[in-house]
Amino acid sequence: METVASTASFVSSASPVAGETDESSHGFLRTAWDFSFRMVLRYIKNSYKDDPFRTFLEVCLIGFIVWYMAKPKYNIGTNKVELSEKEIDELVEEWRPEPLVPALTEFERETLDKAIMIDGPNGTKVRLASGSNNKPVLNFASYNFLGFVDSPELGKHAVESLRKYGVGTCGPPGFYGTLDVHMELEKQIAAFIGHSAAILYSQAFTTTLSVIPCFSKRSDIIVADEGVNFAVQQAIFLSRSKVYWYKHNDMADLERILKDVNKQLVGRRGKNALPRKFIVTEGLFQNTGDISPLVELVELKHRYKFRIILDESFSFGVLGKRGAGLTDHFNIDPHEIDLLIGALCFAIGASGGFCCADKDLVEHQRLSGAGYCFSASLPGILTIAAADAIHALEADPDSYLDNLRDNAVLLRTLLKRIPGLQIDGAADSPLIHIRLAPDALVRMKRSGGAWTKTDIDRVLTDVAEEAQKDGVLLTRAMYVDDHERILPNSSIRICVSSAHTRKEVEKCAHAVKSAVSRITSKKR
Amino acid sequence: MIIKSQHTAQALFSSVTEIVDSSHSKIGPSAINNNNLNKTQSTGTSLLVDSTMIETDEKTQAISTALSTPDRSFQSLEQRDSNTQRKQGRLAAFAGKELPHEKPPQMEDVPLFTTITAYMSFMLILAIAHVEDFFGMLFLPQKYVNLRVQNGYAPMVSDFESLWTRHVYFRMLDCFNRPIGSVAGGYVKLCERISHDYNRTIHYTGGLQNVLNLASYNYLGFAQGEGVCADRAIKEMDANRLTQSSTRAEVGSSRLLIETEEMVARFVGTEAALIVSMGYATNALNIPALVGEGCLIISDALNHNSLVAGARLSGSIIRVFKHNDTRDLEKLLRRSIIEGQPRTHRPWKKILVVVEGLYSMEGEYCNLPKIVELRHKYGFYLFVDEAHSIGALGKRGRGVCDLFNVNPREVDVLMGTFTKSFGAAGGYIAGSKALIDYLRLHSHSAVYAESMSVPVLAQVSSSMRMIMGEDREHALEGQQHLEQLSENSIYFAQKLKDLGFMVIGDYGAPIIPLMLFNPTKMLAFAHECHKRNIAVVVVSYPATTVVTSRVRICVSSAHTREDLDYALEQISEIGDLLMLKIHKNRIKQKQLK
Repeated sequence: METVASTASFVSSASPVAGETDESSHGFLRTAWDFSFRMVLRYIKNSYKDDPFRTFLEVCLIGFIVWYMAKPKYNIGTNKVELSEKEIDELVEEWRPEPLVPALTEFERETLDKAIMIDGPNGTKVRLASGSNNKPVLNFASYNFLGFVDSPELGKHAVESLRKYGVGTCGPPGFYGTLDVHMELEKQIAAFIGHSAAILYSQAFTTTLSVIPCFSKRSDIIVADEGVNFAVQQAIFLSRSKVYWYKHNDMADLERILKDVNKQLVGRRGKNALPRKFIVTEGLFQNTGDISPLVELVELKHRYKFRIILDESFSFGVLGKRGAGLTDHFNIDPHEIDLLIGALCFAIGASGGFCCADKDLVEHQRLSGAGYCFSASLPGILTIAAADAIHALEADPDSYLDNLRDNAVLLRTLLKRIPGLQIDGAADSPLIHIRLAPDALVRMKRSGGAWTKTDIDRVLTDVAEEAQKDGVLLTRAMYVDDHERILPNSSIRICVSSAHTRKEVEKCAHAVKSAVSRITSKKR
Repeated sequence: MIIKSQHTAQALFSSVTEIVDSSHSKIGPSAINNNNLNKTQSTGTSLLVDSTMIETDEKTQAISTALSTPDRSFQSLEQRDSNTQRKQGRLAAFAGKELPHEKPPQMEDVPLFTTITAYMSFMLILAIAHVEDFFGMLFLPQKYVNLRVQNGYAPMVSDFESLWTRHVYFRMLDCFNRPIGSVAGGYVKLCERISHDYNRTIHYTGGLQNVLNLASYNYLGFAQGEGVCADRAIKEMDANRLTQSSTRAEVGSSRLLIETEEMVARFVGTEAALIVSMGYATNALNIPALVGEGCLIISDALNHNSLVAGARLSGSIIRVFKHNDTRDLEKLLRRSIIEGQPRTHRPWKKILVVVEGLYSMEGEYCNLPKIVELRHKYGFYLFVDEAHSIGALGKRGRGVCDLFNVNPREVDVLMGTFTKSFGAAGGYIAGSKALIDYLRLHSHSAVYAESMSVPVLAQVSSSMRMIMGEDREHALEGQQHLEQLSENSIYFAQKLKDLGFMVIGDYGAPIIPLMLFNPTKMLAFAHECHKRNIAVVVVSYPATTVVTSRVRICVSSAHTREDLDYALEQISEIGDLLMLKIHKNRIKQKQLK
């Protein structure tokens, strides 16, 4: 700023006439600035007297600088095209956007028309609004692992809590949306799992979506399992961290990547020499029914200095002796898991999700966890329902979990006997995916030609429909096909519940068997 | 406290805006000038109407007539311009002349003293924070152990990120996250708490303090533990239990859900609607189903974090226009359409303009009629987030479309939440049948997220029926709630203005932001309010800009005139105490005249 001003004065005074004599006009300037100005003036006068050619050169130089500065700027590398108003209007007129949503395909339309609508309460036995006869069917499709959805435990305090808290909380947790029961449930969950603290979110999907980007930022590193569910995939995408995928549940591959990542970081200097590094995986995989090998994971974590983010949405309440999830299952100190994400809407039968972590990390989420900070909190009724369900599970874990495990093992063995099916997943996982075995597919397509995904989906839908006729409600596992990173093979997902009796499980297996044999024997 | 992530949005879009800024293409000056001229002229005429309307004592009547007249739609917008001008006192000067570039109206005539002290106090806070950190790390390293690399692990929260949290937020922790022990109705019971070590640990005494609730989004007063809606919820829970434990697309849809969806569509005025179990997820999980790579999202600068998250998840290019500045939007649209996609210059597949109906930190409406006009001209798709406006605005409570008399079918995607006016939870997407059918199979919320629980659905459907007047036994109640809300909002905002407070926000909006400017006054204001048994929300950076800390007051139809008068009396006292009545002198001068 000053240099510009002095240059200006310099220019003006450089011309021989400028204020040479008119000292009085500057008379009001009594400042140091005035003094220096006069010094410059005197210098110019003297130099002009001594060497007028030099002054001339200087004036030229200043003139050049002024010209150079005032010259219109040019940018390198932009090929900007100036368009007239008319041309722009024409271009705007010409632009035709695609329709907001594409039309549904024939199969999608069918799926939508056949969508299951439940009449009355959900649970292990449900009535369908779409079914012709109003006979209840056995529900093997809801994630009702512990049978809480239709157990009286869940609604024990529903009326009282409604009277006390209303339905909605009418505000985000930060602004008078935290209920006292939210804080109690947070403590209860932390104590149940055995971690330091917990934070409640109002939807399971959003829990994952908030927690991962809250800690893993643009410069950080995530090493994730390829088989993680969609919420985790989206959360990783949202975090914009550098991500490496390891083969599903393959610890050797994971170790290779961890080594590789650490090698790349060696010798990195500067502010970001050491980014935060996370291993992200799921406790009980929604898409396969597999269980993560936590013991190895924890060992690798320590060896390579990574942190673990574990999505226990489907394992919380299901795995372990107490039902406290994967850490309980492997008898590992939950503190080894840096961020433990869980859901209250599946096994627990209420709604929402939570994240267990150290106290500092939980407090950090209260301001930085987007789904916590920017959305209304979980309704009071559902909070109390979740608390009641966890209490019930804590009080008598065996009555829920033993039954669940027995049913899961039984159904899995029964299903494995059915020809033409491929059953994946851990032996005692209550999530069972039924896939059509490759050889069965070859046998079925007598006309030859390749199977498209829609063909397989259609067969599975038919199987589910056949089973429904036999009184068993099944559903094809639904995905948003074009958004999944690796689309899992089409399957029917069966969820076993502890509330199912042995007979009902057998009935389910039988229904699947007869449905499969009827559908696969059909000529295509 | 972050509620509106203006900052995040700015950070996110900074790269985009840089690109936009660096290319100095001047598009459509003549067209814009023409618009200006027309606008100014109409402003000039509507000015007279407005000023007389506000001066009259029969405010409520004036409002109801204003709301009922069809040209209300354009009035309220012109009114904003006119308010700004009136504040400037240069009313006559602008008549017939071109308007200057639309400045944010709220910052027009803040006394220089206030601005300077606000900046100073903010800088002082940061300076102290840095000094404290410097000496702290020197003398008390064990306190800073979490901010250092330890045992080969990078710190979970970086030093810079946590500066604000540790030094500013923590000090003011008492204003936020205060738990409640009752329904968040017109009055609410706060859990009493106390801290002896500067908020490091907080003890709950177990006591409850009954306070007037000016904080919750309970616009229509449906947050109740008694009454029609609560009874209906209990009835439904008896019949249908609590939850579905499945996703909407698999086996989570019940008869109640489908009936409620139909009702929502009828209420909003669209062909179909889809219900999502969480408000944040309604935006974050549905926008990615609508647009993707090769598409452009044009977003208002002050859009809510959930919209920003949704836009980011979609993978499309995001550009931002100045808050509520349709001229900037048009400029951006023209430039975007002619330039096409970055690098390849292929034409955009789709352009989605995302705006909010009522901005929750500003209390401002979006300029819907103008945006709809632009939609016709440029052929983009319009997404309106009615999180705060649905139920609260318009004569029939149908949101911002109702307020401006815009046909809801002119908006491609209407989104709203049930958390606010309906006293429930979750949200909806409404639009054409083709759109909703597609979303039922392709939206992340429908396919992967839990479906809505039974009591929440019951609350939504019963409160909505009441607003629509379909509940025969309580046919008039809904309308009464709406009228009461509108009356309360206008009364409270006007009274605050009369007291000399600086209040921003549009006429009739139930969100009334009262400007504090000074960040340190937030804590003082919240404390004084708690002392006087009033609950308010105070917000500052990063939710707003550094020097525009504010109190956000949410008026409800559950408030009686006495409640509001009590609050006004107390806030007036606090205003004197904290020197908040920055327009006091002007009001006095006006009275003298």
